[in-house]
Amino acid sequence: MDIPYTVHARPDTGLYNAKVGIWLFLASEVMLFGGLFSSYIFLRLGADYPWPIHELDWTLGGINTVVLIASSVTVVWAWAAVKMRKHGLYKILMLITILCAAVFMVNKTIEYTGKLNHWSVTLTDGSILSGHLPKDEKGHYIPYQVKFEGQEITLTVSGMHRAVDANPVDYVLPHIEGGAPKFKAAPAAAAYSFAKAKSPDFSALGSSDWELNASTFAQIRSISLAAAREAWKAERDDKIALAEKALAAAEALPEGQERAYGIQEAKKALTSAKNFNQVPDTKIKLVATAPFKVAVEASKLLARQTADAIIFRDGSAATGKLLDDKFTLEADALDLRSLADQAREKSLAFDARYLGEKWQKHFIANRAAENKKFDEKYSDGKGGVTRDREKSATFKKHAYGLHLDSPEPKGDHGGALGDGPHHPVLHIESKDITFFSNYTPKLNTYYAIYFTLTGLHGLHVVAGALVLAYFLVFNGRMLREDPEHLANRIEVGGLFWHFVDLIWIFLFPLLYLL
Amino acid sequence: MSDSADPAELQKHVKKYLLIGGILLAATAATIAIAFYEFPTHSMNIIVGMIVATIKASLVALIFMHLNHERPLIYKFLAFTTVFCVVLFVLFIFSNADPLVDHGFDAPLEAVEK
Repeated sequence: MDIPYTVHARPDTGLYNAKVGIWLFLASEVMLFGGLFSSYIFLRLGADYPWPIHELDWTLGGINTVVLIASSVTVVWAWAAVKMRKHGLYKILMLITILCAAVFMVNKTIEYTGKLNHWSVTLTDGSILSGHLPKDEKGHYIPYQVKFEGQEITLTVSGMHRAVDANPVDYVLPHIEGGAPKFKAAPAAAAYSFAKAKSPDFSALGSSDWELNASTFAQIRSISLAAAREAWKAERDDKIALAEKALAAAEALPEGQERAYGIQEAKKALTSAKNFNQVPDTKIKLVATAPFKVAVEASKLLARQTADAIIFRDGSAATGKLLDDKFTLEADALDLRSLADQAREKSLAFDARYLGEKWQKHFIANRAAENKKFDEKYSDGKGGVTRDREKSATFKKHAYGLHLDSPEPKGDHGGALGDGPHHPVLHIESKDITFFSNYTPKLNTYYAIYFTLTGLHGLHVVAGALVLAYFLVFNGRMLREDPEHLANRIEVGGLFWHFVDLIWIFLFPLLYLL
Repeated sequence: MSDSADPAELQKHVKKYLLIGGILLAATAATIAIAFYEFPTHSMNIIVGMIVATIKASLVALIFMHLNHERPLIYKFLAFTTVFCVVLFVLFIFSNADPLVDHGFDAPLEAVEK
């Protein structure tokens, strides 16, 4: 059955059906984006950190604005071209529209990639350093890793279904350098807390130099679970026997209230003993024949590393000694806005281990210069200023932050860069870091809403471009035989496309400029 | 929507689209320029920026999306959307207002104590 009123207007609505459909859809889309814009307002008003202003590169956003406006013109022009039966012109204009969408998405990819490779490190005093990870000879970024020398591994095989359950094959072994480590003797298990339980017997694994791998772990796991079940059964039988004994004792009592009560309680205890289902966890200690080296990204650990232990995501713990957990950052900017005024020049970032005295002096001089500039710009002619500097986002950004665009402050070093890194390279100790992240939604609420809004908008660009490309590629016959129908299709696709442009008109200033 | 299939009429429309496209590009340049000019408060930057964006969006909606001459049914849809959207955008007032000390937003404390 054909959908009616695809070409001519339906008498009662005065519109062809697809147009009613697209406007209902656009109304719901307005509500979707409206909700997200509303969230933006809430997040911005509630931000407990300086909201980023002019932090994103506006040139890419600006180019994308131009590209989307151009494509809006070409899509409505393409519609007019079909109406005028200029089929060649229509094809060219539609192609330009789709190319514009492609340019938009390429720019978006460049922007996103830049964000994913950019890192922010918050120090314990609130100073924020941002920058890039170092690169290896091949030009790949070297991820931040915790380096550890392990002697022992403790696995906890969970008796019940738990989220954290020993799985060293997936969560530990991939981070051990030089392949699977070998272990001395059969592993030892801690005794279960149940009185009559026996510890599992791992002698089947061999007595020395066995390797931890998928098959040995499967063995360890099945032995552990069997022993844990044995332990549980023994404990349950014990409890049942006790409860039955109590029941018998109660039944032996003379008729009366005490007997009835005793039986009632003993029966309860019996039911609960029969329902006892706690299969215990098995804790197994493996001792390596030789120390093994671990290099693991901090995000792959369950908890923060300590000087003598690291815990992996499956709950397995390695004990030994921490070799290195410094975060190497090619720092490109320092942000001290979150610190109290007097604390800024004493920021942890200016510690001798990090940026040092030279940058500290540079910061103080720069702040003085920015203050002077502000005083001159907003002078009231009577030695005061007409504007509160603490309310000027741009002043605070420039005066309380530093661009670290050379290894040493420029005045001191003549500014020659040479072949070395273009930024100070810092090795930040883990104990000085409270938070680190690349520029992803988890960094702060600004990036959360930035990725949500631009990501959703980007998906709309892709979807709209696919629909328009479909018209161009697959509706050639309709163009020849029923151009009015195709014109209506293009109008509807175009309405969606204009809507996507309209959203961007608000996104660009809100995220890039204001 | 345009029911007229008259080529001369459509040609005029195309000229209008190109003109609007030019205005939108100019307005984009203005948005960027304004963003780097410092008004007395940053809130004013935001307000001015949003006013320019709203003008741009209105041009897109009215001319490109043909809302300057559309059937009543569509205006009815959009009336609801507009009302609900405005509600969404002013919701923040309820989270910022303090029902215990109802003295408006940035009233100085002395004014409240009097």
